[in-house]
Amino acid sequence: MIIQLIIGALMIGSVYGLVGLGYGLIYKASGLMSLAQGDMLMIGAFLGMTFYKHLQLPFIVSLLLTMLIMFLLGMFLERILVTKLLAKGAQTVYVILCTISVSMLLQNGAMLTWGSNVMQFPSVFKTSTVNIFGYEIIPENLLALGVAIFCMLALHIFMTKSKFGTSMRAAAQDELAASALGINVPATKGAAWGIASMLAGGIGVVIGPIFGVYTSMGAMIGQKAFAGAVVGGYGNMYGAIIGGMFFGFIETFISAYITSSYKDFISFGILIIVMIFMPTGLFKEEVME
Amino acid sequence: MGKVNIKEKKGLLISLLILAAIIAYMLQERYLTLILCFICINSIAVTGLDILFGYTGQVSFGHAAYYAIGAYTSTLLALKGIPVFFTIILGALLAMAFGIIIAFPASKLVKHFLSLLTIAFGQMVYMFISVTDKLTNGFSGIIGIPNLKIFGYTFTSNQSYFFIFLFTLVLVLIGKKRLINSRIGRAFIAIRENPHAAAGMGINVRYYKIMAFAISAFLTGLAGAFYAHLVGFISPDSFTNAQSNIFMTMLLFGGIASLAGPAIGSAILVIITEIMQSFVSYQMLIYALFILAVLFYLPNGVVGIFDNLKETVSSAFRKKVD
Repeated sequence: MIIQLIIGALMIGSVYGLVGLGYGLIYKASGLMSLAQGDMLMIGAFLGMTFYKHLQLPFIVSLLLTMLIMFLLGMFLERILVTKLLAKGAQTVYVILCTISVSMLLQNGAMLTWGSNVMQFPSVFKTSTVNIFGYEIIPENLLALGVAIFCMLALHIFMTKSKFGTSMRAAAQDELAASALGINVPATKGAAWGIASMLAGGIGVVIGPIFGVYTSMGAMIGQKAFAGAVVGGYGNMYGAIIGGMFFGFIETFISAYITSSYKDFISFGILIIVMIFMPTGLFKEEVME
Repeated sequence: MGKVNIKEKKGLLISLLILAAIIAYMLQERYLTLILCFICINSIAVTGLDILFGYTGQVSFGHAAYYAIGAYTSTLLALKGIPVFFTIILGALLAMAFGIIIAFPASKLVKHFLSLLTIAFGQMVYMFISVTDKLTNGFSGIIGIPNLKIFGYTFTSNQSYFFIFLFTLVLVLIGKKRLINSRIGRAFIAIRENPHAAAGMGINVRYYKIMAFAISAFLTGLAGAFYAHLVGFISPDSFTNAQSNIFMTMLLFGGIASLAGPAIGSAILVIITEIMQSFVSYQMLIYALFILAVLFYLPNGVVGIFDNLKETVSSAFRKKVD
């Protein structure tokens, strides 16, 4: 029982962590916030389901194809909408509103395209459970965990070792200095938004078989991931993962041992308490003006 | 302001006459009266949001929470037998109390964190009312909410409700105008423009931010209580995150930081929602497009269009005179 719970908590925690990481990336790169991350996850899940179930593509191909499309969508969002809005001299609040309306558009667009019912994502593996050290574990949970950890590691290596990743970090630190050194700052911003939505979309494909695919699946995950990002220290990528894990564990264990109907209530309560007493989060990021 | 006062009053008189004619026509039908009632309720709630967002610059994406607190408090107390007139006021006061509680941490936060805090608060209230079956009857909602009764007169028809809502709305708008032109209103605007400069001028920024939250929550709670007694049925579905976004859309579309903006915005969006009744699931799609249109093309909403028109017309006249 306890092992299954821990696996479940790790799985959902890494989902929150990965989506929250996207918030951190966007914040670091452009100082903005996107509330459409959860819906990016939902769109990813729908796209993955379409490729895998209806077009009969192999799972790994559907996953990669979805991630590519989501990258372009995220980049489109930044380059077409957000940049134009900022060029008009809009305040941060209006950018947030813009992403809220994008999230409404995505939800309703998905409803128009795929309908409003919960759709079945066919399971990826033939067996329904695997036996590890005598414990029955659903393989999709392990897959989600594995993909999340792989993405985190790949992102870490990309950000620290590759040239473009280094220039992204440089642009996040000081835009002016970075552009003086010949770094294409708009491209790094677009890439940050693209990577954020790519990660959310990719994890959406992976959790599709576990939770089913429906239009409002992303809203709650997006908000929890945001909560995780705040608890970890907003803008800190590693903090977002820790914060996401924190909420994954809290939620799983509260619903297993205390109450399942109040779990979201308690999660958001913890978030508000953290924001009041520890607004810099675990990793002491600057959040206040 | 002083120069155009007479002209303004003439315009006001004409618009009031037109409004009265429309209302007299619409009151003939029950359904149309209901729409008018909804317009008044939404205008009150959006006016509350405007004081917070439009004038003080504090964003809230969780205003449905105050709406819900007002509605549920008033309903539950009324079902306990307390006269409805008092329960409405108590509901609004409780919403105000929650507004103050939220404002304490919120007054320290900026931008994203304020948005998230208000979203989280909205979600908490929504979850609380939807899972606390014993108190709120969960998702099935509460039916048979008693009607408003003042001095022995019971409000049963939509018409009677409309008149009390309109009366309240006019009071709220007059109060808002007086508030904005007072010391407090000027402090709000100073905080919106630059909190640091405002603090430098000796304005207690935190105090005024909390006050803006309190007034805003009070008005929205009042609107929620009105809604509950008008419709006679409430369920958590009316108080979701989407409702907060609807308030925001109404405010932005009407025009922020203006007297008529919230009323115009809620009137247009309520009417559009009613026309689109058969496509109700795509309602949010329309709202999203409205927000984008406002963000990209109409920075001051519908009120901004009128202001621009006025400007063009008056400048054209001025040229002729020259």
